[in-house]
Amino acid sequence: MQTHFTEKQLKDPKVKHTNDILRSCIHCGFCTATCPTYHVLGDELDSPRGRIYLIKDMLENNRTPDVKTVQHIDRCLSCLACVSTCPSGVNYMHLVDHAREYIEQNYRRSLSDRLLRWILVRILPFPNRFRIALLGAKVFRFLGYFIPDPRIKAMFEMAPQKIPPRSTNDEPQIFPAKGSMKMRVALMTGCAQRALNTDINDATIRLLTRHGAEVVVLKQGCCGALTHHMGKSMESHRTAAVNIHAFADEDDARGLDAVVINTSGCGTTVKDYGHMFSGDLLEKKALQVAALARDVSEVLVDLELPKLPDQGMRVAYHAACSLQHGQQIKTYPKDLLRQVGFKVFEPENSHLCCGSAGTYNLMQPKISGQLKSLKVETLEAKYPDVIAGGNLGCMMQIGSGTELPIVHTVELLDWATGGPKPPAFFGKSS
Amino acid sequence: MEMPQPNLEVLRKKLEIVTALLEVLPREAVIDNPAETKAYECDALTAYRCPPMIAVLPSTTQQVSEVLKICYHHEVPVVPRGSGTSLAGGALPTVDSVILGVAKMNKVLETDYENRVIKVQSGRTNLSVSGAVEEENFFYAPDPSSQLACAIAGNIAMNSGGAHCLKYGVTTNNLLGVKMVMMDGEIVEIGGSYLDSSGLDILGVICGSEGQLGVVTEATLRILPKPEGARPVMIAFNSNEVAGTCVADIIKAGVLPVAIEFMDRPIIEICEKFAKAGYPECEALLIVEVEGSETEIQDQMDRISSIAKRHSPIELRQSQSEAESAAIWLGRKSAFGAVGQVSDYMCLDGTIPVSALPQVLRRIEGLSKKYGLKVGNVFHAGDGNMHPLIMYDANKDGDLALCEAMGAEVLRLCVEVGGCLTGEHGVGIEKRDLMEDQYSLNDLEVQMSVKDVFDPKWLLNPAKVFPLSASENRRLG
Amino acid sequence: MSGTLYPIDESDLSDAVSGAIGPLQILGGGTRPIGRIIKAQKLSTEMLKGIVTYEPGALTMVAKSGTPIAEIQTELAAENQRLAFEPMDYRGLLDTNGAPTLGGVVAANVSGPRRIQVGAARDFTLGLSFVDGNGQLLKNGGRVMKNVTGYDLVKLMAGSWGTLGVLSEVALKVLPASETQTTLEIHVTSWEQAVGCMSAALRTPFDVSGAATQCDKYGKIGVLVRVEGFEASVVYRIEQLKAKLFEFGNITELPDPWLEVKNLNSWKPLNTVWRISVRPTDALKILELMRLLQKDRGFQCQLDWGGGLIWIGLNVEQANDVASCTQVHESLQALVATLGGHGNLIKSKILSNLDITHFQPLPRAVSIITKTLRQKFDPRGILNPQRMS
Repeated sequence: MQTHFTEKQLKDPKVKHTNDILRSCIHCGFCTATCPTYHVLGDELDSPRGRIYLIKDMLENNRTPDVKTVQHIDRCLSCLACVSTCPSGVNYMHLVDHAREYIEQNYRRSLSDRLLRWILVRILPFPNRFRIALLGAKVFRFLGYFIPDPRIKAMFEMAPQKIPPRSTNDEPQIFPAKGSMKMRVALMTGCAQRALNTDINDATIRLLTRHGAEVVVLKQGCCGALTHHMGKSMESHRTAAVNIHAFADEDDARGLDAVVINTSGCGTTVKDYGHMFSGDLLEKKALQVAALARDVSEVLVDLELPKLPDQGMRVAYHAACSLQHGQQIKTYPKDLLRQVGFKVFEPENSHLCCGSAGTYNLMQPKISGQLKSLKVETLEAKYPDVIAGGNLGCMMQIGSGTELPIVHTVELLDWATGGPKPPAFFGKSS
Repeated sequence: MEMPQPNLEVLRKKLEIVTALLEVLPREAVIDNPAETKAYECDALTAYRCPPMIAVLPSTTQQVSEVLKICYHHEVPVVPRGSGTSLAGGALPTVDSVILGVAKMNKVLETDYENRVIKVQSGRTNLSVSGAVEEENFFYAPDPSSQLACAIAGNIAMNSGGAHCLKYGVTTNNLLGVKMVMMDGEIVEIGGSYLDSSGLDILGVICGSEGQLGVVTEATLRILPKPEGARPVMIAFNSNEVAGTCVADIIKAGVLPVAIEFMDRPIIEICEKFAKAGYPECEALLIVEVEGSETEIQDQMDRISSIAKRHSPIELRQSQSEAESAAIWLGRKSAFGAVGQVSDYMCLDGTIPVSALPQVLRRIEGLSKKYGLKVGNVFHAGDGNMHPLIMYDANKDGDLALCEAMGAEVLRLCVEVGGCLTGEHGVGIEKRDLMEDQYSLNDLEVQMSVKDVFDPKWLLNPAKVFPLSASENRRLG
Repeated sequence: MSGTLYPIDESDLSDAVSGAIGPLQILGGGTRPIGRIIKAQKLSTEMLKGIVTYEPGALTMVAKSGTPIAEIQTELAAENQRLAFEPMDYRGLLDTNGAPTLGGVVAANVSGPRRIQVGAARDFTLGLSFVDGNGQLLKNGGRVMKNVTGYDLVKLMAGSWGTLGVLSEVALKVLPASETQTTLEIHVTSWEQAVGCMSAALRTPFDVSGAATQCDKYGKIGVLVRVEGFEASVVYRIEQLKAKLFEFGNITELPDPWLEVKNLNSWKPLNTVWRISVRPTDALKILELMRLLQKDRGFQCQLDWGGGLIWIGLNVEQANDVASCTQVHESLQALVATLGGHGNLIKSKILSNLDITHFQPLPRAVSIITKTLRQKFDPRGILNPQRMS
């Protein structure tokens, strides 16, 4: 497309990068076909192509974002299905991240908006605070009914019934490999995940060590994904820096073959650390960590799980957006599950987001709800025994809409290769 | 690109019109602020842009009818829009127009496998029509390259084709019925789940009428059983002429492939760079796809191969697996995207008799030198539907004008050799001003008189298809 | 009225039409006297004949409208090509003479059994020249298969029975002839089974190119399924079809029956014949109605296009009298109107002098559009007036 940035604007490397992205868009509209918000709303402005147009206009003219532009960009899930679809290789992810940052810096949101976002930023990335908040929400659940703001309502409703106790696995320690050590990895323990569901990390550690990986848990924090997607780049850089130091230093000191991430939403961000910290003092270490970042399924493929007989179970594999579109990992989890004996299928329209998308289900409850219904419908349509996915957010979102047990892929792999039966099978867990 | 003078009276009444629309549509379905209408200022032909006055997104046929009634009353021009993937500017608004987008209407209404038809809302995407019947091993045949995103509404408006139309025909050969809203709000049903029209073939003239006769909200389409299998054979030649002759020979031999695609050197080079499909270095590449059972496929491939070998190809590759098929098609399918990463481009759509292929390619090369703009050719060789991609720089002053001028000469050339201006993209605005190169004013007059029957006030997409001077009286009438 | 006019070229044709002082009956070979034919000056295109160009490698032929179909078919056969839509020859059924012309085939959208696979005459017409009701020579379309330049008046002219203009030249898409064909006959015991069988055949990926029925003199129904192509391919597909269709009845192979299926020559002696097009499964409703109305008088019936085309015939006893035959006619058209489709009276000795709706009456909105379209093309209303009513 034709762009109109001034010479002066283009001196900023960020703007130049964005200009290159915009020039590569040919406005063909293919992206609209796989965009979940376009699917439910049918409005060009709620499609990637329309958002690209709004972003272009806003940034070219250094415009103060107007309420409508912000609304349409807020509605973007960052599911990145458009990236998978785009025939011209438009880097929409960087584009929308840039736009979010710009909006955060130049747009004065309403008081309730600002308050809500402030709360999320201050709580979600910090497991201790998050646990307290969850407890509060559980105790004062009834309050949710009286609150008119649909987003706060959604927050109350999303709080799980059961809050797991702190896991000792979160403490810095080394889990030795069973048998000969094939590789040495650091586990990213996550932030919200530590408060919401400790089974995933437990299963990951068991699974990795059982098949020859030494797993080291370091003192770490939030990877920055949540805050990054809200446009709060200072905040996201702050917490990401802690992780970058932790992993890069460990790699320098004792060597790491990979930084294993079992929440694909985080994985996409960590793999993009190089771009996030481009021009920053930490750039070199950021690139180092980004190069080490692997989704747990990638590492497991390298570890070669055993081939096992039929487990007699039908698994509906839910492909998380961050994994299939963000990281372009589409087959590994299914291959792994089949390898250990599960029957695996994907639902219809598997490219469509479940509506979780980080904090989206809290910030955009209406659209999120519509997408959740669509996703649950397609998953249940083929009568699976269990639903498996690679991202906590999805699990919680879908879990709240179905009676079927829903687990992380690693929980099933762990179970099949000698671990315990996942708690989800014994009635609804977190 | 010249557009008609806006109707100032309409612009003055904007608030009144919006108010009336809000009585029949929910708030979020009426888009009237400039920050938002901008997104509707063009379709996939970005060279020409103009934001509409208002954009509306109805969800039902009844709502479409109410919207049109309002516009009819206030004499507001209406531009229907599907997915906005038109390469001819079919959905380009004027400053006083209402864009009527049907994207919210995307449901399947009825599938009837016994009678091999499907009824859908017109906002549904082309590929998802096939998607809806895939489980029963059926598909919807017309497959434009944009089928992932383009809407049936647009397919009907432009009478879209695709690579597989060589065997299965284009939209008009697969359309059985429509529900259409006329400009005055009347809802009519033409055709149905039966073959051949009752009286005059009104459906046949609606298909390809570029949104100028009515707004189609529902369509009954033919669905076909999926073939057992399909595989391509890739043939590389040292010359365009030889490739063209090979195509004619294959057809004369009685083999009817499902698709015959042609790519020339510039396109192959760009594709290789980005798609890395593994194409050999050559002047021209043919991809010929055949269908049937395994044995039938092999038999047809052997016949094609022996015909091709008579012309000494540089390389001949028969696909022996799904992976190989995907690899062979990869380059062709990513051609436009690959070119888009290298340069801005204008994609033409002129069609020529297959026998004129070599001379037309030579003359296009000549024009490329004359204008100093690089051209790549990728097209449906089986029916002569060419897609020259003229590469230019949108950010360079004057380049667009140069590109347009060259494009016009190429299209005139197509008409000169016995072909036509557009094979599947439609006239839109892109070729509007070239219409008199193909038709006399009398011929255009009779087409316009058909529009007079359906839309006497000329409010539906009035600035398209016909040169403005030819349609002036009617538009201002 | 003077004798028939035979314009020799387009300019002549133009003059003949513009100079007409009253209604004109447009004729090709005059083999299809279907519809309402009022007394009028006859104008025939028989002298506007000759093949203009033929490019086998491009699958295109251009010919003048008065060219006999037989001549075109001979030319095509020499290059191993054919008119894939297999136009019906009405001369047997209607007991007419003359040579069917290209213009007539297009104007009446005449197709045959293979329509179900490849399309109708209108799908093979790439372009045409015609003279409108004012005598103006016009053209639409071109010589190429893919053409969306402006409105598709080619489709509008096809099947317009000469009421919008007189065709002078037609560009056609042609296809290779098939190496061989094989036809199966499945001996079913009911019409439900017949439609079910044809539907099952058409749902397979085996490219069935004909699905029709024929009845023997005992009224036993045979479903005919045709496959065409290269020898080995046909053998394979026939085997596959036999496996798929054996549940419907005994299957035998028979020599090519399609000429009779297409032309219905054996129906020549019948008194009254209708041609009905509906959704294939609705054919059963039509037949049910006929059984109800005809009771033990019975009726003749042939299905084609998988059940989508129904020929109903009455011999002189079955037609009975004017009252009952009229009732059949009106009931059929009324039922078809509710089902969607059209039922046209093709011939009837018993109803011949009556003022009835030969062609299926159109719904209100469509009727208005039709009338206004005719006014545009033929303001004086001289071209085959009321023919399609």
